[in-house]
Amino acid sequence: MSASAILAAPSRDRMRADRLARLHAGMEQHGIDALVLLGYTNVAYATGAVWPVADAGRAGFELPVAVVVAGDDAPHLFSPLREDEQLRAELPADHLHGPVYLDVDEGVARFASSLAGLVPSGAVLALDQWTHAMRRETSVLFASPPKDAGRVVSDAKLLKTPDEVAFMREGLRISEEAITAVQAAIAPGVRQIDLTATFLRRLFEAGADANVLDPIWQVMPARIADGPWTTTGDIAVPLLTTERELREGDVLWSDIGVTYQGLHTDFGRTWIVGREPDARQRAQFERWQEILAAVLDVTRAGATAGDLTAAAIAANGGTKPWMPHFYLGHGLGIDSAEMPFVGSDIGEAFDDQYVLQAGMVLVLEPVVWEDGYAGYRSEEVLLITDDGWVPMTDYPYDPF
Amino acid sequence: MATTVTEIRPDEAGLRQARRARVLAEMEAADVDVLVLGREANARYVSGAPRLWTAGSKAFGPGCVLVRETGAVHLLSTWDEGVPEDIPHEHLYGISFNSTTFLEVLKGIDGAATARRVATDGLSHGAARMLPASFPEAEVVDGEALMQRARRIKTPQEVDAIRASVRVAEASLAAAAGALAARVTERQLTAVFMETMAREGVTTPSTQDVAWISSLSHPWHRSSRDRPAAEGDLVVFEAGILLDGYAGDVGRTRAVGAPSAAAQALAARCDELWAALWEACRPGAPAADLLAVYDKAGLPAPPVPVARGLGLGYDLPLVSAELPDTAADQTLEPGMVLALTAHVWEEGVGAVHGQEPVVLTDSGPELLSAQPFRGQPLG
Repeated sequence: MSASAILAAPSRDRMRADRLARLHAGMEQHGIDALVLLGYTNVAYATGAVWPVADAGRAGFELPVAVVVAGDDAPHLFSPLREDEQLRAELPADHLHGPVYLDVDEGVARFASSLAGLVPSGAVLALDQWTHAMRRETSVLFASPPKDAGRVVSDAKLLKTPDEVAFMREGLRISEEAITAVQAAIAPGVRQIDLTATFLRRLFEAGADANVLDPIWQVMPARIADGPWTTTGDIAVPLLTTERELREGDVLWSDIGVTYQGLHTDFGRTWIVGREPDARQRAQFERWQEILAAVLDVTRAGATAGDLTAAAIAANGGTKPWMPHFYLGHGLGIDSAEMPFVGSDIGEAFDDQYVLQAGMVLVLEPVVWEDGYAGYRSEEVLLITDDGWVPMTDYPYDPF
Repeated sequence: MATTVTEIRPDEAGLRQARRARVLAEMEAADVDVLVLGREANARYVSGAPRLWTAGSKAFGPGCVLVRETGAVHLLSTWDEGVPEDIPHEHLYGISFNSTTFLEVLKGIDGAATARRVATDGLSHGAARMLPASFPEAEVVDGEALMQRARRIKTPQEVDAIRASVRVAEASLAAAAGALAARVTERQLTAVFMETMAREGVTTPSTQDVAWISSLSHPWHRSSRDRPAAEGDLVVFEAGILLDGYAGDVGRTRAVGAPSAAAQALAARCDELWAALWEACRPGAPAADLLAVYDKAGLPAPPVPVARGLGLGYDLPLVSAELPDTAADQTLEPGMVLALTAHVWEEGVGAVHGQEPVVLTDSGPELLSAQPFRGQPLG
């Protein structure tokens, strides 16, 4: 994939065909005849279905399910959602099914009989996650213990297709349109939830399908000790939004995530409420830019995650410039955080052997913290290419 | 309306303790030693700690652990903000991307080594591998059914919490309905709902599918969310929010412009259907009676559930035409809270849809909404 690969006019049909080809290849590799997918991002990936994602409780109850059969050029979707005309135009009618309720024994039994009509008896099936009702009916659902379907999807989604990259860029543009309105609204006396109100209003007007993260506008304490106790002894981030009023000079860390066409976005910036950053804050930002530049300098297909963490640590004078409960960077796209994780607690050995590939979308989020004077954190979204990387957005770092 | 909240606090102690006692009683009854919960609403029910809201179903992971013998709660939280004082720091474990870390956390819990029955509310391939290492003596059993039994009947305090949530949902829905006009899109109506919800102090919707321009030609077809509404369209608003974790869901229908005589007649049929559902919604009655109401009225039951439990998230009962045996097996009981749905559709007219949150009391159903849809004008 090269820098010019971000398409101007992405296609849903081509995106679905590319994904199915990858899933089918993975199924063949693992000797799987059909995938049964419950995880909402896995279902969205396999079918291209777009729906406004609900709260986890409701989403578990209104669970769309996908079945991908080897040799079939269309996925099956069992959906509790209203019948989407776009999807009806894209998928054969006999691949669109009514809802199934897999937390209920009767729902599992009905699904088992539908499934039996889609796959030959004795087929090797794979499943991404279980409900207990499914577990009770294992022998009815599966001729042999199901393999891990999650692994097949994880491998398939790792490298983004050109259409996925283009849809992601549009999703980022939509979320940043909403962020622009938020930034204009930041002032002393404004409540945190008012920023959420402004954000959600503009987000949906701008065309997002769903918000996936209760938006974070965290007022950072000057010192770690002024914040909540943590298991790590480090800063507590992200903390929930309340009706707290912003005050002049507050250091605000933002973090938001939305979906567009089933692709996830990510965004994070540091802002100062009601005044220009002071010299110390500007110095923190300069340090952050140096760390980012050092990481970007080694970021390309073929580099390891360990190359990126080493560059970040060296640029930060020998210590890790990220929060111990998170990472220096993470993959983005089908999920809000997915492989590759760079600098996570999976450990250095993992980072050192993990090779970046062209087509990965990576979010880098170094943190500069100066205890007593808070700190700076932003997120940079980029596409890994054969000879380096290209930025997925050009949202400014104002007021820095 | 919610009071002003400027810091994250745990759920109120009485509410928390009543919920946890119910879960411990169900663990006793099912002979479960340790309960490992991944679903956010289950974890909140047991812990009383608000955590970051994210949309969509989650793969199973150990988000909260309850030990029957000691009553100890262990919680996945990197910080103590919002964590009640009965969960000490040493019972908090942080965010991790390393499954070995979780394995060790579970293994280190007092009682893990000797637990014979461990219940979970879901299962993944990774968890199926991990649990035997963390609980070497235990068989893994169904914790979701256990939690459903515990959560099914609401305490009076829970009913109050749902009522408060419904108020915010109604106010937000009214604002969205007020923005309805020709050329407005579903997305724009959703935007108004979400903005109002947040200004009311709530940043967590229960659904993000707020408005639906019903089709004239197919009962459940859904057009693009960017299609502008046209004069005469019937637009269904089905919206909900989570206040302190409790779901407040309401459904209303509005016409774009002045409703036609046919639309008003359809609304009157929806009112009649609602009256019959209300009659059937009696403590002691089988839940299947609610489905029978549609049959008797000669109407197809909607593909979405006619009734489903509201609470800390979504609960039993689940009453759907897709699950007739399940409906027949369930009994409506005092203390259940239902989102009850009346839905009618007519070719060339569209859909009229009403959904009300209802609590069942000893003497019958009681509405939790302040402005019920029945008798409300469409326009």
